[in-house]
Amino acid sequence: MRVLLPALIAAATAVVAAVAVVAPAAPARAEVTVTDSRGSHTFAAPPQRVVALTWSLVEHLVELGVTPVGVADLEGYNTWVVHPPVPAGAVEVGLRQEPSLERIAELEPDVILASDDQIAFVPQLETIAPVLHYTAFSSEHDNEAVSRQHFREIARLLDREAVAEARLADLDAALAALRQRVQALYGDTPPTVTVVRFADEARVRVYGDNSMSSAALKALGLTSGIAVPRSRWGFALKPVQDLGAIGDGVLVYVEPLEKAEALLNTALWQAMPFVRGGRVAAMAPAWTYGGAVSVQYLAEGIVTALESLAAGHR
Amino acid sequence: MRWLLVLAAALLVVPMHLSLSSPLPLAEQAAVLWRGSAETLAEVTFLHGGAPRAVIALLAGAGLGLAGSVMQQVTRNPLVSPLTLGTSAGAWLALVIASVAAPALAASHGVWFAMTGAILSTGLVLAIAGRQGIGGLPVVLAGMAMTLLLQAVATVVVLTHDQYVRNLFIWQAGDLGQTDWRWVTWLAPQVAAGLVVVVLCKRPLTLMRLGAEAAAARGLALIPFLLVAVLAALWLTASVITAVGVIAFIGLLAPNLARLCGARSAAAELVTSLILGAVLLLATDALALYASRFTRDLVPSGASAALVGVPVLLWLTLRRLRAADHAPLSLPVGALRVSRLTWAALAVAAVALPLLALTVGRGPAGWSIGWPSDLVLGLRWPRVLTAAAAGAGMAVAGVILQRLLRNPLASPDIIGISSGASLALVATVVVLGGSIHEAGVPVALLGGLAALAVLLLLGRRQGHAPNAVALVGIALAALLDSLLQFALARGGDEAYMIIGWLAGSTFRASAGQGMALAAAVAAAAAATLLAHRWLTLMAAGEPFAAARGLAVGPARMLLLALGAMTAAAVTSVTGPIAFVGLIAPHMAVLLGARKVAAHVVLATVLGAVLLVASDWLGRTVFHPVQLPAGAVAAVVGGGYFIALLAGQGPLRGLRGLGRMASGWGNRAA
Repeated sequence: MRVLLPALIAAATAVVAAVAVVAPAAPARAEVTVTDSRGSHTFAAPPQRVVALTWSLVEHLVELGVTPVGVADLEGYNTWVVHPPVPAGAVEVGLRQEPSLERIAELEPDVILASDDQIAFVPQLETIAPVLHYTAFSSEHDNEAVSRQHFREIARLLDREAVAEARLADLDAALAALRQRVQALYGDTPPTVTVVRFADEARVRVYGDNSMSSAALKALGLTSGIAVPRSRWGFALKPVQDLGAIGDGVLVYVEPLEKAEALLNTALWQAMPFVRGGRVAAMAPAWTYGGAVSVQYLAEGIVTALESLAAGHR
Repeated sequence: MRWLLVLAAALLVVPMHLSLSSPLPLAEQAAVLWRGSAETLAEVTFLHGGAPRAVIALLAGAGLGLAGSVMQQVTRNPLVSPLTLGTSAGAWLALVIASVAAPALAASHGVWFAMTGAILSTGLVLAIAGRQGIGGLPVVLAGMAMTLLLQAVATVVVLTHDQYVRNLFIWQAGDLGQTDWRWVTWLAPQVAAGLVVVVLCKRPLTLMRLGAEAAAARGLALIPFLLVAVLAALWLTASVITAVGVIAFIGLLAPNLARLCGARSAAAELVTSLILGAVLLLATDALALYASRFTRDLVPSGASAALVGVPVLLWLTLRRLRAADHAPLSLPVGALRVSRLTWAALAVAAVALPLLALTVGRGPAGWSIGWPSDLVLGLRWPRVLTAAAAGAGMAVAGVILQRLLRNPLASPDIIGISSGASLALVATVVVLGGSIHEAGVPVALLGGLAALAVLLLLGRRQGHAPNAVALVGIALAALLDSLLQFALARGGDEAYMIIGWLAGSTFRASAGQGMALAAAVAAAAAATLLAHRWLTLMAAGEPFAAARGLAVGPARMLLLALGAMTAAAVTSVTGPIAFVGLIAPHMAVLLGARKVAAHVVLATVLGAVLLVASDWLGRTVFHPVQLPAGAVAAVVGGGYFIALLAGQGPLRGLRGLGRMASGWGNRAA
């Protein structure tokens, strides 16, 4: 014992000393440096309380298993985005264009996540807490690839990189499985699939290059029947007549379609090649301007629509 | 003779339109129409897309031209049209509200909502303008005020329910795209019915040109006839708006062009307006079709109509509207001088309201009162300062413009300064992309200055007739609207940022911007006070001012520039703030400010207090949902203004119609 006690003390001292020397380089709670649209930001520890001001950022957080303390237009998210559902506990902080700064301040966030046009009020947000701003939608980059980058970056910030990689692996596996289902339907020569959302009975938004829908199509090994040049949000407003260009392809429209009867009964619609050939299907409501994982929800919607079409033919 | 030329133009435009909307050669198009059935896709898209589009363009244009002609003949006012009477804004607001409150009902019965809104708002504007105003500028300015108010209310609804109304923007932009003959068969009987009523009105309209006594001598009861004619025109306009959306300008331009083409008699004016309206709309729609070939998104016909209409309107202004307007709108006047009690009350309000805005807020546990933490104070004071400076700035600009143009309705938002600044910013965003907040202060100032330059240029040619000044404002506002609608119809979230910005918010102003704006406004107010003698002299009449040794031209130029720059500076920081510049100076007069110095001081304080209160209300009432201060101020101020005008006698407009008719006899004599 007499030998042991000093030895223990010496060992303990050595450990403490070692920790003291090593500590600044490798603390228990790691310092983290992340990059946003404006440059790099260093956090002493992974933030715990996060406020998210756009819906694609909310989606990223929820997919990472993080419940944001504050969400802008939570009511709108629950109505229009729906998947993935935001767990209870998140607080509404007002509209996305003009959130309530005082409500955000009350939540005492460790970090505020903002994106795109919200750059306009980042200086005001910064008086409350550190802000990370992401440019999610831009005609200058590939929205889908960038959304994965942002997803990983936010995961790194919150020390959830393993969760993110697992989720992205799941996503890729799910997309591969969906692609198999498409192949089972059409073999190696699938028709073109054009994804649209009707604005009213005479006009339609056609999703094209740089939209999340077109990323989903690409993952499924499909191409669109109408080329829409790259743009920020990835769609173009066209008259319904222009859909005639789809020819032998399939048309998938995103629900809800409020004036369905008005549209589906017009002579013009009835004359469309995809209507005559029975190649038109409705797709369950899905948010077309989401984050990385939204591609999976969109791809599921598209494949389900295509399968229902094939089932109807049999 | 000249209307033969018009007919020839029509014969040219129809094939042009048809060959733009369908790839089929004209001969085959004719064959398809002759057969009445279509086989190939190209034939079907022609028979159910291109052909009804051309027909509905002709129908809608004819309806708008006819309605415009009736309204202009009845009111003897060349500036009257759905655009200038608040008709379109009324239909728009009604449909927006219906879409949010009852989406299903709005989808199935949108027609009736739009119709009710259009008729109510136009009726209200006519009633407000009343007997004297209906024949001149006042009805147009009242229409602009009504449009601003209704748009502000619509903005509040749109901002809080953006996804619900997304698809309405296309309707508001006015696109003529058709997918079958449904709307044609709906609109044709309405236009035909309107035509019948108007044909019945032909004789009375002719008789009325002789004056009321002559008409009465021939046994014509004027009042019921006038009511029927106005209602028929409104019905026509509302049906067209319902069928194809908001298409401005045709109703305003067609009758003016008809008179320019030499249509003299009542009947000739009606017929020529009808044909011209149809041709004009068909031609602008052909332009929209052509432009759509080069753009990613379709170009709405309403937007191209405005793009064509604005220059034509300005040209008409130069050509025809030389005469000064002799029917100024009189607002009620109040006390003869400002009482001590008023000064004291205002001083208290000027201290108490900012204090209230700083100390009273809403937290998780409801209302909280008390000196805020440094963090919250840092969030609140820049807003309060910016709101106060913006309100004061608009008030100063309003005082200058109202005194200078001798028109109680002249204010930066109505005569186009705010529109010019906003137009420059929105155009930058639409054309170059990017965010409206990045476009920045210099662009807004440049836009405000450009609007001023147009005003001055036209003003010099027109002797600064209030007519010309107001028309520039209307033209710029319409151009802004069409650009905005193009951006909105296209979709994308930046559109909502633009709407939020156009509503006028203190939200994004930094402390530095707030202080800079406050300094600029203080300087403008001081300059106005220094120049009070100029304003006093000019308000008494320019010959009088010149006789007293004032260099009228340079003084007017300087003062106009001062007012415009102040309004543009405010707009660049907060976005356009409507109504404060209109009602703050007027409330000051009501409280007894007769002299320029008192007018400036009182209006400045009132403007500041009004906007600080609006900002605070927008921040707290629906917490955590925030409404922009400008939208709250427009709703509150606009409501007050309309109530003020209407309060002078709700039936003044109806009674006025009769008296107006007797007035024409005198004018003709």
